[in-house]
Amino acid sequence: MGSSRRRFVGASGAGLLTFVVGGCQREMTPGQAREAGADLQTLSSSQAELIDALGKQLVPGAAEAGLSHFIDHQLAAAPDEQLLMVKYLGVPAPWDGLYRDGLAGVNAAAQANHGQDYVNLSSDLAGELAAALAGGSIEPWQGPPAGLFYFVLRSDAIDVVYGTQAGFERLGLPFAAHIVPPDGWIA
Amino acid sequence: MSLPSRADVIVVGSGAAGSTIAAKLAEGGADVLILEAGPKRSPVDMVSSGIWARRLKWNGAPVLEDGANPVGYNFNAGMGVGGSAMHHYAVWPRMHPTDFRMRTDFDRGLDWPISYEELQPYYDLVQREAGISGDAEQENWRPAGEPYPMPPVPLFGQGRVLAEGFKAKGMNTAPLPLAVNTQPYNGRAVCLWDGWCDSGCPIGALANPATVYLPKAIAAGATLATETPVVKVLTKGGRTTGVEVVNADGQRQQVQADTVVLATFAVQNPRLMLASANTDHPGGLGNASGVLGRYLMSHSAGLVSGLFDQETQPTSGPFGGQLVNQDHYAKDSHAASGAFGSYQWMIAQAVRPNDLLGIATTRPDLFGEAISDFMRKAARGFAGMTAVVEDLPVADNRVTLSDRRDDHGVPLALATHTTSEPTNALWRATLDEGKGIFEAAGATEVWTGPQGAMHIMGGTIMGDDPATSVTDSYGRCHDIPNLVVAGPGLFPTSAGVNPTFTVQALAARSADHLLA
Repeated sequence: MGSSRRRFVGASGAGLLTFVVGGCQREMTPGQAREAGADLQTLSSSQAELIDALGKQLVPGAAEAGLSHFIDHQLAAAPDEQLLMVKYLGVPAPWDGLYRDGLAGVNAAAQANHGQDYVNLSSDLAGELAAALAGGSIEPWQGPPAGLFYFVLRSDAIDVVYGTQAGFERLGLPFAAHIVPPDGWIA
Repeated sequence: MSLPSRADVIVVGSGAAGSTIAAKLAEGGADVLILEAGPKRSPVDMVSSGIWARRLKWNGAPVLEDGANPVGYNFNAGMGVGGSAMHHYAVWPRMHPTDFRMRTDFDRGLDWPISYEELQPYYDLVQREAGISGDAEQENWRPAGEPYPMPPVPLFGQGRVLAEGFKAKGMNTAPLPLAVNTQPYNGRAVCLWDGWCDSGCPIGALANPATVYLPKAIAAGATLATETPVVKVLTKGGRTTGVEVVNADGQRQQVQADTVVLATFAVQNPRLMLASANTDHPGGLGNASGVLGRYLMSHSAGLVSGLFDQETQPTSGPFGGQLVNQDHYAKDSHAASGAFGSYQWMIAQAVRPNDLLGIATTRPDLFGEAISDFMRKAARGFAGMTAVVEDLPVADNRVTLSDRRDDHGVPLALATHTTSEPTNALWRATLDEGKGIFEAAGATEVWTGPQGAMHIMGGTIMGDDPATSVTDSYGRCHDIPNLVVAGPGLFPTSAGVNPTFTVQALAARSADHLLA
């Protein structure tokens, strides 16, 4: 009975993420967009690279799941279409400044401590700096509160790794949807 | 759609309060126009996704927040047809008789201008019309009322595990009263227990405005206009004459009415009333007392989580929980620690891996391989429960107007909220109690969460005395009797239970009075 009702309501055309590849618009997951090298709309390529490097340290699998393309897409969306968890945290929109300033803060700390941009650090050093960000001990720090930036970026990484149908399946959890998200929908 | 130039009654907002009062008034023969600032919502929009569910949350004019314990407006409020009730979890316990007389019984807080006994028939009415599942006999704390019309929610793994913890501590559990169908009810389907309540319920098993009272209102002839924000309430002397809206063409338009009902939730109602100040009402509408905006409240969430060796099926069941405990609902149950107020436990809530209330967010300290390991364990053996902790009314917790304005020139709301020390002490006491229950249940790890804000109440409180309250017990403004406020903003105290059932009972009572 339940599954037949799920099938009944299962046809939804809502919510595909649209990326641009080679001048053509395509609907795909952020992970597919990353693989296809889809154009970024808000972030620079170096900012996206830094997001993925940091995301990889915070939540393994986040870079491959398309963390930077997810954030980029959401920041480019109309305000009532934006779905980043930062919207719950009492931080007034727009939020691109929070991301840009937080990323700049991480890079500045990497330069001050190790003389390199974050993306060029060894895995061990990148992990140490990510731990300092998570623990609120990152020095020097300029930008949004380090704890807020960590929480926001980690939440985004959790969204793309575990908040999707594939993420549920990776954990062995049933994704018993009433309305199944279309294939290209992030969750 | 083009708006009519007048209606008998304008209802501003289509959420729990607005939909109930609109249905009752339309069924009583009134010509009702519902003005909703947000978009339409259709069942096919309600994709099962925690990320998608964020679309149902507030995304209108920003609400600025201040104080040590912000009310979390963007998380608690909703946008679009059905308002915040479209993402609510349908936990529908009744308030207790003592909640209505805190000042009389304890010389603290405020009294309500009505008693439980006066509201009880409306609890029973809404319960019959919306449908609630539960077990009235097992709730040995339950106030008088008709038994639930549906049998209780089934138990899943985490409910069974946590029930053992309560039992070991000598405490009781009962099925959580839920406005969720456990059997076909009034033409609506049975729940599938898949834990997607806050993404909207496309199958109609959960009682929300879209499934219960808005269809009744429309069937009785009410008109619903969406994406039509009200920017001002109009008055002439001591009466309202209607509202000014921004219509579908982006033009300002006035609509006249004999009665205006404001049902735009606890922050937007006082915002609109303050922003509608004029020469007859220089401090804002309904604000002769100076109380408008004051006594803003939000329940503190006592979050307790743990890991178990048993399979807990953490994503299965209703989002609001499977069981309830109100053993210590008495206001002075933890008086020795300086605490005051009531609370209940919502036990074994379905969770997702992600999102603000998700599994991963309960351990924000974990990252890297540690979060990967934790998620694997939690997918098998996570359990959680939440205390709904009463927030004592504090006059300085309030909604005021900011210097900033929205796209229509209306000043933004500034919501300031800091919990009182007795509330903080009660919140801490619930965490201690909760940890003990988890340990008694055999948890291998137990941890607690921050003092989150859950539900928003107050700001337009009701009372008998026009000098100390905004409205009478029917929501009629003392100084503008045909301007009616509906919703949780009317609450003089917050009680220790979820507010939506009480909101709708109050709205049904107000409608009866308006029709009399």
